[in-house]
Amino acid sequence: MDDTKVGEIERLEDLAYELRAKLLQLCGTYEGAVHIGGDLSVADILTALFNYGLHVNPADIADPRRDRFVLSKGHAAVCMYIAMAIRGFFSYDDILKTYGQLGSAYGMHPCKVQLPGVECSTGSLGHGLPLAVGMALGARHRGASHRIVCLMGDGETGEGSVWEAAMAARSNELGNLVAFIDRNRQLMTSFAEERVVFEPYPDKWRAFGWEVVEADGHDMASLVAAIDGLPATDSGRPTVVICETIKGKGVDFMEHNLAWHAGSLGPADLERAMAALEASRRKAVA
Amino acid sequence: MPVTFTFGEMLSARSVIGSTLAELGEQYENLWVLTPDIGATLVEFRDQFPDRFLDVGLAEQVCVGIAAGLAYDGNIPVVSGMLPFLSMRALEQTRTDVCYPNLPVKIIGTHGGLVGNGGSTHYAVEDLALMCALTNMTVTSIGDPLMVGEVIRQSMQMQGPIYIRLSVGKSDAVLYEPGQHDVRIGKGIVAREGTDATIFTHGTTVLQALKAADQLALDGRSVRVVDMFTLKPLDGDLVERCAAETGGRFVVLEDHLAYGGLASRIADVVLDRALGLSSFERLGIPQVYAGFGDDEQLRDKHGYGLAATVAALRRAVAGASDPSKGTR
Repeated sequence: MDDTKVGEIERLEDLAYELRAKLLQLCGTYEGAVHIGGDLSVADILTALFNYGLHVNPADIADPRRDRFVLSKGHAAVCMYIAMAIRGFFSYDDILKTYGQLGSAYGMHPCKVQLPGVECSTGSLGHGLPLAVGMALGARHRGASHRIVCLMGDGETGEGSVWEAAMAARSNELGNLVAFIDRNRQLMTSFAEERVVFEPYPDKWRAFGWEVVEADGHDMASLVAAIDGLPATDSGRPTVVICETIKGKGVDFMEHNLAWHAGSLGPADLERAMAALEASRRKAVA
Repeated sequence: MPVTFTFGEMLSARSVIGSTLAELGEQYENLWVLTPDIGATLVEFRDQFPDRFLDVGLAEQVCVGIAAGLAYDGNIPVVSGMLPFLSMRALEQTRTDVCYPNLPVKIIGTHGGLVGNGGSTHYAVEDLALMCALTNMTVTSIGDPLMVGEVIRQSMQMQGPIYIRLSVGKSDAVLYEPGQHDVRIGKGIVAREGTDATIFTHGTTVLQALKAADQLALDGRSVRVVDMFTLKPLDGDLVERCAAETGGRFVVLEDHLAYGGLASRIADVVLDRALGLSSFERLGIPQVYAGFGDDEQLRDKHGYGLAATVAALRRAVAGASDPSKGTR
């Protein structure tokens, strides 16, 4: 790996740390529940996408050539808002001050009508990939060369509509469509495999005719390599990047802990979470 | 070449859909047609615009989801299929992916009502109640086959979604000469003038209402027939006018559950505007899963056929009450 790439990865790691810190700060300030577990599991993926993988421009959100990002796991909205704020789309202070309040554009699940810059309104699981297939068909028909990137949770792929969309994407040879899966192996109330047999998970996608890339969803070098290796948008096969992740990643008492699917941090817990995040970073650097 | 049709002639609404979409496909480069394996009457569009035609196979949910994605991308998608499945299997996609962001997706389908002899899996009888509940959705139900083309054409100018309900669509009676009525989405059509009572209806039962009005004319009674082809937004002003002009005597006839469809929507207007009717009777499908039989047999069996309609109108003009009131 050359020095430029090493520098880029370090920059992305710093941004992911900033994203997690800002997430925790919001979770410690906002009185309602935040889907902090799943936010932390996608923090690296969203950082890599908005700061490296996606061709988007905060100064021109209607640019027809922009890549389209579909957050199918809409409950990670706040993580996306902050990732987009770090990229320059929104103001983090606005998000922090107004999140979930009456009249705010920043709510638990994203709404395109209230928040331009977000590509579509999501939140009901299993709906994002069909939307992305439609966007990819439209793009290809126009001869446009942008990508459509859809982020799903692994639990979400229990929804049958995901597999309808997987078949439609393959049948229509949508090489401009890329799905990222946040494979954190936790549902809301259970560990996934205890309830639903997902494995052999990559083989399921292969059987549906998709190119499968397996990545470490918390290793920026791995995510960057996955993004660098994506096929050209005029190729004939959709790609899924299955990212192994940990729900609650970065805060030891939240990791693998079913209690932290959603919650809020009081002042004392916020301090504890921030210290844990800092410790986890030191460990990663060491 | 302009073609004229005369009252009573049979025409396939599906063929009108096919030719209208092919015509509009020429005019609108962003018009797409999608179907979950119900594409037989879409061949004209498919053959002329194969790259804007998508048959997803048996998958209603993704069909509507893809349509929403195409609409986000600046296209005007038409989803065509069978309504018992589109209106229920894809209800959440319709509500959340289409109506919530108010996208210009058109859902056109057949098998509204006890039609086609497919049994209860294949009758859409709750669909209008479901669709009328959705914010931003415009809801129509069309009997006259030529009107289908006109409504599709008008809907091209709409910002948001529209639901267009048809009967089986293979053989539909022409009700109106082209140009006879000013067809406008959101406005009811007075298909026949009258002063003693009004019968409101939509879709496949408009013809039956006209026949019933003919029979009442033989009694010396004048019954107004309103083709309320737009259920949402409902033409409340026309309802109010009919109350004033036809003695406050209303009968509502529809091939849909008697509660939840047009009758309920008209009843809402009556209450909201305190219209003070002298009679109100609804004829429609009771709370049963209907069995097999041809369309007319099923309407007769379930109490909203021609004879029942004539009887209801006779009660209305005589000021008598419905013996079965409140039991449906």
